[in-house]
Amino acid sequence: MEGVSYQRFPKIKIREMKDDYMKFELRETDASMANALRRVMIAEVPTIAIDLVEIEANSSVLNDEFIAHRLGLIPLVSDDAMGMRFSRDCDACDGDGQCEYCSVEFHLNVRCDSDQTLDVTSNDLRSTEPRVIPVDVAARSLASESGGFDSPDQRGIIIVKLRRGQELRLRAIARKGIGKDHAKWSPAATVTFMYEPEIHINEELMETLTLDEKTTWIESSPTKVFDIDPNTYQVRVVDPEAYTYDEEVIKKAEAMGKPGLVEIYAKEDSFIFTVESTGAIKSYQMVINAIEILKQKLDAVRLQDTEEADIGELTQHLGRGL
Amino acid sequence: MDSKNNSAYASLQELVKHHIESFDYFVDEGLEKALMAIRPVHIVDPITGSKLKIFLEKPCLYPPTRNGRLGEPIFPAECRQAKSTYRADFKIDVGFQYDGGAVIREKISFGNVPIMLMSKLCHLRGFAPQKLVHHKEEASEVGGYFICKGLERLSRTLMIQKRNYPMSVVRQSFIGRGFGFSNKAVGIRCVREDQSCVGLTLYYLHNGSPRVGFRIAGREYLLPVGLVLKALIETTDYEISVSLSCCYNEKYRKDKGAVGAPLIRERARTILDDIEFRTRNQCLEHIGILFRPALSKFDAESDTFVGEAVLRDYILVHLNNNHEKFNLLIFMLQKLFALVDQNAAPDNVDALQNMEVLLIGRIMTIYLKEKLEEWLLKAKRQITDEMNKKAKDFEFRNLGIIKKIASRLASGVGKSIESMIKVGRLPTFFGLELPQREGLTILAERLNYLRFISHFRSVHRGSSFAKMRTTAVRKLLPESWGFLCPVHTPDGTPCGLLNHMTSPCRVSSCYDINGQLKDFLKIRMSILAVLIALGMTPLLPRLEHTGPPEVLHVLLDGCVVGFIASAKVEKAVMHLRSLKVALSSGIPDDLEVGFVPSSEGGAYPGLYLATSPSRLIRPVRNISCTLDQNANIEFIGPFEQAFMEISCPDGGNGGRREFFPETHEEIHPTGMLSVVANLTPWSDHNQSPRNMYQCQMAKQTMGFSGQALQFRADIKTYHLQTPQSPIVRTASYGKFCQDEFPIGTNAIVAVLAYSGYDMEDAMILNKSAVERGLFRGHIYQTETIDLENKKNGTEKVLEIFSRGLDASKSLIDSDGLPFVGQTIHPNEPKYCTYNALSSSFSTCKLKGSESVTVDYVAIDGSISKKYIQKVNIRTRRVRNPMIGDKFSSRHGQKGVCSQLWPDIDMPFSSVTGMRPDLIINPHAFPSRMTIGMLLESIAAKGGSLHGQFVDATPFSSSIRKEGSEKSSEKSSLIDEIGPMLTSHGFNYHGVEVLYSGVLGTEMKCEIFMGPVYYQRLRHMVSDKFQVRSTGTVDQITRQPVGGGGAEVAFVLERWSVIPF
Repeated sequence: MEGVSYQRFPKIKIREMKDDYMKFELRETDASMANALRRVMIAEVPTIAIDLVEIEANSSVLNDEFIAHRLGLIPLVSDDAMGMRFSRDCDACDGDGQCEYCSVEFHLNVRCDSDQTLDVTSNDLRSTEPRVIPVDVAARSLASESGGFDSPDQRGIIIVKLRRGQELRLRAIARKGIGKDHAKWSPAATVTFMYEPEIHINEELMETLTLDEKTTWIESSPTKVFDIDPNTYQVRVVDPEAYTYDEEVIKKAEAMGKPGLVEIYAKEDSFIFTVESTGAIKSYQMVINAIEILKQKLDAVRLQDTEEADIGELTQHLGRGL
Repeated sequence: MDSKNNSAYASLQELVKHHIESFDYFVDEGLEKALMAIRPVHIVDPITGSKLKIFLEKPCLYPPTRNGRLGEPIFPAECRQAKSTYRADFKIDVGFQYDGGAVIREKISFGNVPIMLMSKLCHLRGFAPQKLVHHKEEASEVGGYFICKGLERLSRTLMIQKRNYPMSVVRQSFIGRGFGFSNKAVGIRCVREDQSCVGLTLYYLHNGSPRVGFRIAGREYLLPVGLVLKALIETTDYEISVSLSCCYNEKYRKDKGAVGAPLIRERARTILDDIEFRTRNQCLEHIGILFRPALSKFDAESDTFVGEAVLRDYILVHLNNNHEKFNLLIFMLQKLFALVDQNAAPDNVDALQNMEVLLIGRIMTIYLKEKLEEWLLKAKRQITDEMNKKAKDFEFRNLGIIKKIASRLASGVGKSIESMIKVGRLPTFFGLELPQREGLTILAERLNYLRFISHFRSVHRGSSFAKMRTTAVRKLLPESWGFLCPVHTPDGTPCGLLNHMTSPCRVSSCYDINGQLKDFLKIRMSILAVLIALGMTPLLPRLEHTGPPEVLHVLLDGCVVGFIASAKVEKAVMHLRSLKVALSSGIPDDLEVGFVPSSEGGAYPGLYLATSPSRLIRPVRNISCTLDQNANIEFIGPFEQAFMEISCPDGGNGGRREFFPETHEEIHPTGMLSVVANLTPWSDHNQSPRNMYQCQMAKQTMGFSGQALQFRADIKTYHLQTPQSPIVRTASYGKFCQDEFPIGTNAIVAVLAYSGYDMEDAMILNKSAVERGLFRGHIYQTETIDLENKKNGTEKVLEIFSRGLDASKSLIDSDGLPFVGQTIHPNEPKYCTYNALSSSFSTCKLKGSESVTVDYVAIDGSISKKYIQKVNIRTRRVRNPMIGDKFSSRHGQKGVCSQLWPDIDMPFSSVTGMRPDLIINPHAFPSRMTIGMLLESIAAKGGSLHGQFVDATPFSSSIRKEGSEKSSEKSSLIDEIGPMLTSHGFNYHGVEVLYSGVLGTEMKCEIFMGPVYYQRLRHMVSDKFQVRSTGTVDQITRQPVGGGGAEVAFVLERWSVIPF
């Protein structure tokens, strides 16, 4: 048990960072770590979403459940979600989930009185907590502050359309939750990672190809990984990360009768992450929160470690299994 | 309907047109014709000897009104809600005449007759989509059905023998008719102008003298054919003998064993020797004596009169002239002899060639006629009864009393029509020569629009065939090409019996292109004129004729009109066809030019022309006439099709000889498919049974059943919350406005074996995708509660909706009904009623184990102004996808959801980060060969990357090939779609590298992934599962033993349990 330490110190290098998009490298760790990070980002980083809807009046064409479902899927600014309480753990309201510590109340009160169809959008949601508002509303207010720069779609997220005389009046409670419980609480639009590829071109063999053959070989890859140097007419790797592990170029090389023209390995310990956020929290915050949660999870395991009995039982169990 | 229909839904209206036209015929002409055919009733007062004649005139059917008040139209939506019938007042002028004096007419109401939606009498006819929506209908409402007690019913289209065409039949059962009968006969189904029909069969007897068989009141009577021939016209034995033998010319049939004219003359002698009467009068008298007992209505007439009546009413009734009847009978004899001598093959009774359809207008016309006749007889009986009783207040000359008696039973006529449509049963004593008396109407289920519209396109062979052991009737015969869809037939008991018309198939009607009633007499006259101009020899003056193969008989609507030389006939046919295509030629565009050429032992030759309604017709392109490309669409029928040369773009030349060049061309190869089958993308790449399954499953899909859901009161409706328009679609998708009624979702489908929960057609759904709304749906159920006729024993009790004092106010409103939007849990009160007799309140509780939400409550205020007595409560149940629910792609690939797998555990793509919505097992493909689904996946992927819809019309490659001079012959579909994918950095063949969601490692295989349009089927576990906690269980499987419910549950659960 003692002696060799396998502890490693993973490194993160950020390549690109925007509010809703982030690309970073994760090095010196293995797939389990990378995947854990991915899974936590999708399913366990908490956000705030509408969870309870009390409909007071609904004469729209959509039924109550449908509207409630649509409301739930509207992303809300969840920067405070980490500090918020889960309603089920809330002491203040005994799990009722309606107190200020664990919930945010929204109101929607729209009635169409004109002959034109009225779109009820996320703009019409009135929040009791100014920091928790639909993300598109927040983005728009931010954009107007900075002078209309890069103005997003003005319409907002449509909830339902109303005709003359139709009305929608409701009270909604937003709560903290995680994507594991319901997809509406997932802050991630996309989280994915790829193994960094290592591409070795067999230059000797490559030189046996004519220029036309080189071009066809290069074009066999659906993504632009290789290129021909316009000066030397040599094949070079322009973007190794564009490689999708589809092995098209390897198959092509074999089909051309030149096996081993290129060798591509996946580096087992470096990963390139792409993170896209729904906007509920900033993409970088999502990564940080995910690491935080991962740490908490590990802490929970370590705390159990101290109870010798459990760990003894575990080793015993493993030993018998082996 | 306008002649030129430019509405967006014109193609949908075309699909149901035959129902509407048939009903319109009933309104416009059928009623009047039926009344004309009804004989007046005479009543004689035995004391005074005065005579009363009662007859019917001028039928009047009004547009539907509320409670019969004029100027208050009732609209169909209201009838659906109120569970009433969309019907109209039906009145007839009944004429009374004493002793030939002045006629007194009285309008008597004969009750109400259901009105077909969008028919001439329907208020909705001709409404623009917006106006339809205003009247709470679908914008695309096409009508063609009735509303009976709130239910939508339409007539079952039945296949019956082609009218007015003599058909030779070989059937073993004929032998049992009597001594000396052979198994051969020639039968004809004669249809009068008023649509009533009488069959006639010419049986061949071994002694050479055929018998004429016909039915009177359900009983078959047989007469020697010689007797009938001689009774029809004044004729000589020589004439009959010559007429019969003319078709056998020794010149052509000299080979051994051939039948010559002498034998035929011998036969003619047998026929004539069979009877001992010489003159026409003797024959008529004899027939009169024979049939007097069978026909009750001729008490005072002479035998000759009765004989003539028999000939008129039962022998070849479609002809009005005895000469014509005589000629046709001779023709039938010749055909029979040709069959007996094996010069001609028997006609196939199961082939579409010899069939037509039976539509609602005809059924209603003949049923109404029978009911009115019945009413007249009943009225007569009642009046004579009163007379015999010598009641004090009865006076024969008092018209008021007579009228009162007569109108007493009148409303029963309308009632019986309504009940016929409501239950589809036609209780008749005589049978009316209908193939079946039950199941004449069906319920138009609106489970989804495809199911709904398919009802209108279905044709059934007749319920009597369903019980038959032989499979001959179920066979898919080549004759039905282009008329009946070979793909769209259910499997199981109705397989092959219940077919569907192809999408371009129509039914010939009594209306011409301009929507005017056709004048059949005029049409026939102009056809005759054309024929004579083309070289046809008319029958008169009577000459000695030769028979085939030199000259051919020309039959027009079952009437022998002349002879045409074989050499001229082909040119004549060509000319007739070009006249058909040309507008304003006086020749209808749906004329059937059935030219059967002479052949050794083939079908009996002749030129058979038909103008009659209710034949199936379909458009093809006539390429032999010189008209321009757009105006060469000709409508052909199944009878003529068998003898035509039609080339199909996909079919090559199929053994066509050079001396028979094609004269016609299919418009598009997809014309052979029904509406539903046409919607399967690339069905030409699938194994054909898979396309059949898709036709079944498309009709069981939970989709957008309608957009007027809010105003409907269907007992049960399924509704998909988040439907999408398919990325990959056929040309028919747009043509039939399917975007109004989408039935599925474009789901990202990965084909891989993952987690073991996708074995044996199980499939894994992404839990997060479901949570975001994939395949979410509802079931809407409407319950109609009518307290009006509540009875306590025999006593009528006033019961109304009202809330009791004790009832929980949170659930029930003060009117005793639930709140709209309220969720009701099991065993909670649903509504509350007050009983005036016991002055007590009672609550009705929600049954079952599932909670429902009240969607809509409608009160019928037409019964009582003071109280609420009739309500519709519509509830909805949420049906989100769960384990055990059934889904299918559009390629007959159905599967049961076995797991809602967490998003993070689903495989993901490193490039796009996509996780599939749905995982299916690769084993679903090799044995089923649904290549269309693979193509759909790739094409949809390419289409979604490029932001465009992809056309997946089957057989389109065959069309394109001709346009581009076979340049792209080699290119397969993949070569078109592949570059679309590579241009966006995807694999040419649609495969992707995925990473395990659980481990984060690359899966060492290429995984086929792309969007496929998936349908959610209506079979859901929540509606089917049954739980039993106690009782006997099997020792090994721990499954409950026996019991219907358990077995059903087991089948569904099997798929979920198998991975263990």
